Amino acid sequence: MNCRSEVLEVTVEARQVEEAMLSLLHTILLHRSSGKFHYKKEGTYSIGTVGTLDFDCDFIDFTFVRVSSEELDRVIRKAVSEFKDALSNSGSDGMGQISLEFYQKKKSRWPFSDECIPWEVWSIKVNVVNLANEQERQICREKVGEKLGEKVINVVEVINRHEYLPKMPTQSEVDNVFDTSLKDVQPYLYKITFQITDSLGTSVSTTMRRLIKDTLAL
Amino acid sequence: MAHFDTEYQRLEASYSDSPPGEDNLLMHVPEGAKSQWHHIENLDLFFQRVYNLHQKNGFTCMLLGEIFELVQLLFVVGFTVFLANCVDYDILFANKFVNHTDSSKVTLPDAFLPVDVCSARIRDNAFVIFVLIISGVFWLHRLVKFIYNVCCYWEIRSFYINALKMTMSELPYATWQEVQARIVEIQKEHQICIHKKELTELDIYHRILRFKNYMVAMVNKSLLPVRFRLPALGESVFYTRGLKYNFELIFFWGPGSLFENEWSLKSEYKRGGNRLELADRLASRILWIGIANLLLCPVILVWQILYAFFSYTEVIKREPGSLGARCWSLYGRCYLRHFNELDHELMSRLSKGYKPASKYMNCFLSPLLTVVAKNVAFFAGSLLAVLIALTIYDEDVLAVEHVLSSITLLGVCITVCRSFIPDKHMVFCPEQLLRVILAHIHYMPDHWQGNAHRYETRDQFSQLFQYKAVFILEELISPVVTPIILIFCLRWKSLEIIDFFRNFTVEVVGVGDTCSFAQMDIRQHGHPAWMSAGKTEASIYQQAEDGKTELSLMHFAITNPQWQPPQETTHFISQLKERVHREATVADTHPLSLSESEPRSLIANLLVGPSTLTSINFGRDGSLSISAAAAGLSDGASALRSLSPISSSLHLRGSLSAAHRASGNASTMRKAMAGSGTDARTVSSGSSAWEGQLTSLFLSEYASTEMSIHALYMHEQHKQQSRGELSRHTWHRQESDESSDSIPDEVRSEPNPHSRHFPRSHTFPTTVPSPSAIPTSASAISSTTLGQEGAPSHSSGQRRHSGSPTDSVGVGGKVVRSARGVPMGGWAEEGQAAPRHHDTLPEEGSEDDMPPYIHKTT
Repeated sequence: MNCRSEVLEVTVEARQVEEAMLSLLHTILLHRSSGKFHYKKEGTYSIGTVGTLDFDCDFIDFTFVRVSSEELDRVIRKAVSEFKDALSNSGSDGMGQISLEFYQKKKSRWPFSDECIPWEVWSIKVNVVNLANEQERQICREKVGEKLGEKVINVVEVINRHEYLPKMPTQSEVDNVFDTSLKDVQPYLYKITFQITDSLGTSVSTTMRRLIKDTLAL
Repeated sequence: MAHFDTEYQRLEASYSDSPPGEDNLLMHVPEGAKSQWHHIENLDLFFQRVYNLHQKNGFTCMLLGEIFELVQLLFVVGFTVFLANCVDYDILFANKFVNHTDSSKVTLPDAFLPVDVCSARIRDNAFVIFVLIISGVFWLHRLVKFIYNVCCYWEIRSFYINALKMTMSELPYATWQEVQARIVEIQKEHQICIHKKELTELDIYHRILRFKNYMVAMVNKSLLPVRFRLPALGESVFYTRGLKYNFELIFFWGPGSLFENEWSLKSEYKRGGNRLELADRLASRILWIGIANLLLCPVILVWQILYAFFSYTEVIKREPGSLGARCWSLYGRCYLRHFNELDHELMSRLSKGYKPASKYMNCFLSPLLTVVAKNVAFFAGSLLAVLIALTIYDEDVLAVEHVLSSITLLGVCITVCRSFIPDKHMVFCPEQLLRVILAHIHYMPDHWQGNAHRYETRDQFSQLFQYKAVFILEELISPVVTPIILIFCLRWKSLEIIDFFRNFTVEVVGVGDTCSFAQMDIRQHGHPAWMSAGKTEASIYQQAEDGKTELSLMHFAITNPQWQPPQETTHFISQLKERVHREATVADTHPLSLSESEPRSLIANLLVGPSTLTSINFGRDGSLSISAAAAGLSDGASALRSLSPISSSLHLRGSLSAAHRASGNASTMRKAMAGSGTDARTVSSGSSAWEGQLTSLFLSEYASTEMSIHALYMHEQHKQQSRGELSRHTWHRQESDESSDSIPDEVRSEPNPHSRHFPRSHTFPTTVPSPSAIPTSASAISSTTLGQEGAPSHSSGQRRHSGSPTDSVGVGGKVVRSARGVPMGGWAEEGQAAPRHHDTLPEEGSEDDMPPYIHKTT
């Protein structure tokens, strides 16, 4: 559990889910991205620029800043829309959790595959509510905007703390720390996963893995 | 003017012809990952492995040990099968004759069956096949485990070498405290744990012992069903390795266990809302696991035998005391374990207590058995004597059938009988033995004190300290009993278990979910009857029993002097230390009241146990005991009233000198260590190479003694607090224990007359040392400087020596003692004495000093 974990909770209407998630994920990623690294001969590098743009939400009274990278946006949108679909398909109480995990790769020797070691996990818990009339929707629209604003400040506060970040890598190691697949921006390696309702219990595979690990342990 | 030139310079770069847009950029230098040790994913496992590798004395030792174990297993199984199936015993016993053409002698190969017959016999025997299959699986399992471990520990090895800068060859000689100090050190540089800038000792302990702390707490709160009231046997304890494994499976890591992963409890168990539902779920899980246990019973049995065989050899390696007839039971280990106590700390403590404990148990021989045994031994002995005499007269007697075997059997019979006949010189003084035991094991139920001579106490003690045979028997029936316990006892406790985990789990930043008892917070879990009255806010449910919180806290603070506890806790610790110190030293200013003399004599009593272990480390205890003696002698009137402090401290001296006399030839361990005596000398003469290491050894060695004193003191306080009238009772008993005629004898055995007033000057460093003490004080100074030189590398040394008045006395007293015991040639003796200090398993010493003590009390 050698990683920080932050939990954010939001309560939104079904149609706001996508934008709310996008706003939070983008905010976090904005602060966890850097420009592309250009390595020079003498083991130094220069950092490219990161463009930002404002994004206005349609269903929420809210505007957030995101990295102006279409590729990054596409990846995140894809994950979020999958989450939204899963959430609306589940049909039940409308609880879900999407988590953004930053990790580092660690090369290991032969018998083991490369380890992905998370160092920060952001979990966003979503509670979907159904509203009866337009009046309430209007209130909700403003309320959620305010709430999201608070969350964004919250995120920035957390990020401003001087806490562990992976060290800046050398050229050969850059893939172990940053996601270099994008052309215009270079976020830390991240992974987006989601979970509908808090389905209890660990899955069978993790249990089995632990069972095996335990029997092997000294 | 030089700085004008440097201040304003032409910007060369702006005229270079690099493409626009890149040249103006800031240049960065990557730090790179200097080490691979930053940010380790599973710190629990990592620290456990670091600890294991340290306990196994380095990588090579571990590797070799494991390889040999694998080979051993193959050999044992193969050889057993061979003996059972492939040997023609008729030929061996000469019931059947072999027709040899060339010679009449029967050779070993004659007795072997041919291969095809042999394999046919094996193939026909279903049971043998079954055993072979299971052991094959077992062996494969161990092989895979071995390979996996080699890979994992190779990484730990490089961690030791690259990050901790310790080579594998020096690892066996480094204490765990040193390793730990280095881990704390490198956290600042490598950031192994990303939550905090700095790790504390407690964090490391918490991670290594996370689940063990839970188990200790559960045993402490009597949550686990391990005590049973059986119709025939009375109250008994059943706690075997199989049962323990099942408990751990259910609570900690099995499928659907309470823990999500190694470091966090599942969130639904932290909420009180649906506890009933969770309890139901747990109960049904326990039921299923119980049924699975029942079904797998035969397999487990064979597995258990194989496993027992191998873990048993390992136990012997780790704990020489286990070769005896008795051992500390698994329950005892749980009951006696402090919170946050690592395996090796517990083991060394229990090993020290082993000899007095077995002596205590031997006090209770049944007189009926003794009479029978004496007579059986008599008849067997006469038969044996005749047979031996005949053999000596003419050795052909041996050739007569069964003579050799009957000699052997008779011999065994006599040995067995002898163990039931008490030693003629042994004296029944259980109360004092029990105190010496308490000094090492630190825990005992309240009602034992003053009842040490009772059979019930003995029976209860035997639950902690059982016969090895009983232990093995319990292990063997465990596959059958375990499912019964799971299904019929543990299942009904599921609600309590759920509540326990919810109430006693705290989330600590950087550590995860731990047992809140393991935080050792007096305020939350202190027991008012254990010196934390007024400080504790715990309800009865939250209080740890038997003073576990307080004793664990003291133990942890003493073993890890660098640890900085929270404010209130520091206050508690220093207050307690001061009281113990005062109790031991300042007695001559007070008239001896009953309540005071009791703990003091007690401390002196205790010192008989551990003090002779090590003579440099004597330091602290030596000074304490001497001052106790001085106190007793100085006010004669009160001395008459309280015989016990005097006589006991005199006993102490007697046994000390006895131990000194014996130390030349006593234990092989000491002899073995004597070779390194030169090291000690280099230290005492002030050369620097070994100082740091030795200082920490001093500390870790005398820490156990210090802890013993504190444990005894706390028990004593507790007793006085809870049952005032009973202490009076004990007092009388104790007085009658010491008969006065022994005193002259003791005085003779301690011929140093001026030692009586001398230590007092050292107890109070401000007073001018008496002339007789001058050489000693000189050496005392040298040792103090030694301590301070060692300090930079071990800040513990610094703290310890200069922190409190208690400690400065300890340093002074250390050398006082060594010079006093050996009036001449102090250095040479000390050179010998120091190695004793090294002993990682000093139980030999503690055992040796008991017998003289017992003799003296008569």
